[in-house]
Amino acid sequence: MAERADDRLVRLLGLVAYLDARGPVPVAQLAQHFGVSEAQIRDDVDQLWVTGTPGYWPDDLIDFDADAAERGVVHLTNARGMTRPLRLGTREAVALVAALRAMLESPVVQADAERRALVGSALEKLTAATGEAAHAVDVRLAPDGRPEVLRAVTTALARGRRLRIRYVNAADVTGEREVDPVRLLTQDESSYLVAWCHRAQGRRTFRMDRVLAAEVLDVPVSAAGRALAAEPEVGLDIAQSVSDPAVATGTATVVLASPARFVAEEVPTESVRDLPDGSFEVRVRVTNPAWLRGLLLANAAHVRSVAPAQVAQDVAEAAREALDAYAAVAGVPGARPSDDDAVG
Amino acid sequence: MPANPSDQPTGALGASSSTPPAERLLNLVIALVNTSAAMTKQQIRRGVAGYGDAPSVDAFERMFERDKDALRALGVPIVTVDPGGHSEEVGYRIDNDAYALPPVDLTPAELGVLALAAQLWSDKTLRTDISRAMTKLRAAGAGEAASDAMAGLAPRVRAVGDAYGPLLEAVTERRPVHFRYRAASTGQVSSRDVEPWRIAARRGGWYLVGWDRGRQAPRVFRLSRIEGRVRLTAAAGAFEIPEDLDVDALLGERTGRERTAVLAVVPERASAVRARARVLDPADLPAPTPPDRDLLAVGFTSLTTAAEELAAYGAAVVVLDPPELRAEVLRRLHAAAALAGPAGAPPGADAHADADKEHDRG
Repeated sequence: MAERADDRLVRLLGLVAYLDARGPVPVAQLAQHFGVSEAQIRDDVDQLWVTGTPGYWPDDLIDFDADAAERGVVHLTNARGMTRPLRLGTREAVALVAALRAMLESPVVQADAERRALVGSALEKLTAATGEAAHAVDVRLAPDGRPEVLRAVTTALARGRRLRIRYVNAADVTGEREVDPVRLLTQDESSYLVAWCHRAQGRRTFRMDRVLAAEVLDVPVSAAGRALAAEPEVGLDIAQSVSDPAVATGTATVVLASPARFVAEEVPTESVRDLPDGSFEVRVRVTNPAWLRGLLLANAAHVRSVAPAQVAQDVAEAAREALDAYAAVAGVPGARPSDDDAVG
Repeated sequence: MPANPSDQPTGALGASSSTPPAERLLNLVIALVNTSAAMTKQQIRRGVAGYGDAPSVDAFERMFERDKDALRALGVPIVTVDPGGHSEEVGYRIDNDAYALPPVDLTPAELGVLALAAQLWSDKTLRTDISRAMTKLRAAGAGEAASDAMAGLAPRVRAVGDAYGPLLEAVTERRPVHFRYRAASTGQVSSRDVEPWRIAARRGGWYLVGWDRGRQAPRVFRLSRIEGRVRLTAAAGAFEIPEDLDVDALLGERTGRERTAVLAVVPERASAVRARARVLDPADLPAPTPPDRDLLAVGFTSLTTAAEELAAYGAAVVVLDPPELRAEVLRRLHAAAALAGPAGAPPGADAHADADKEHDRG
């Protein structure tokens, strides 16, 4: 896709201001600094070379040293007054400041004094420079699970150490495993630990609120773990990685009444179709039957239909077992110790 | 913050336009920075490279208006100058005092934080905005980033969607908006007129918080339920945003104080609940409890959220107290047991007793 005109304009103006302050800079270094290819930098320089003030006589144009250009060095000789870096626009300031605020308030940053100071000072400098009361957008990230687990995970990440974790999966089965931590992925909804799992001999993703305990081991991360960490976009495909691909069993189609709309919004779905009466149909990929059973039990009051029929029977059976359990175990009103003494 | 030139169909300029938009915009910026007083539209059309391509006065006007909006959106402070005297044509120039980014002296570690912040947004629009901000900071001389302090961290916020652009413009300029919205409670779509106060992201959802003019009350709208386009309906400064705005209160994030539930749990099961629970001694309870189950006390704030979580465990977890939580779980189990009933017989009514769902989920 062709680059947007305004993105290119920002870089063209940026190049002139940067070069005016820096003096001659090799093309390769400029490309690295601005995060574009060397060919793009050469195109940009060619573009700048033919722009300037009305009249567009040679002295009106932005100019470079042609000899230096031959040697692969960009040497600005006439900036036509464009020497100052352009301020941030409102949208840019909002995107940057809202991101920094969300990071500052996240538990993983708040838990560590050094990190908190660092994000805080970056935010302060940016806010001072943008002069924006960029409050328009307000983002909060998810909690990162138990504080001691969070501390162990971030320590292991920072020191490159292996972790031993106790984890309960979506099927409510608890197990222990040793993992090389790769990323702590803090999403707006949930947080995940992406890791190389020594038991599975592969990459696994663990929901932080299901990590019951974590211990930093005195073992450096393995070569496999380091290789995974080197992948730039690791951990972006939550929906795929969170469950074990080996147990994928196909898809289920569920029709839900409108109040359960959040299901379509919070659960990984293959498709969502609105029906005329306000209800809607979702197709979900079933990677874990226990997960789907739990989802349907929780939202049963809003479920209009489930296909295949086997899934509906499975859920109904689980519900009947649960109703039997409730019939056998009477309620104990007033059993709670004290509401003022709530358990966190 | 209007659309960018590259978002526009090229038809109007299309074949007759030979100057790339970026080059034309650059020439306009350089001309308006260097002009001694101001340039009129006529001077711009005749003098600035790229505008001569416009085949008619109308085409030039459209091109110039769009470019002006695009530059302002990028932070270029274009001001109009009233000529005074006999001249009738306004002039344009760039406010050189407002043009420059103030010095931002960022350490390598702070730049590492910024690089991480730049990856926070999954949304294409927000990614574009923040990468432009990064380009400008690099242009201002920002050096190399060091990322040690934030090693392995990857904060992410999910995509917000098309409504973000117009809503952000509306919030920052305090302009009312009109849109069609699908209510979760009924599934029906209706028109809403809203004074937008804040765009917020919480627990996986993006929300608009504002004053609903039709209902004469503050309301929260989930962005994914806005259908079609968001229109801005009045000029800037049309309302005030409350200074004491409490976004979390409006989003129902503070749903009252925490209460305690008492659960009878099958051994080894529901570890995720156990992790935040306290074990109770059966002797402390006012009535006998099953010997083959563990007794746990766990805090909760939302009845609905707690009932959903506990119902999902099926027979492994039985709620003993409070009675209203037990009833909510039982209601779900009864509905689930009916799922495999006779074909075509839908489970019972679902509208009642779910009042706090809307409150919880917005």
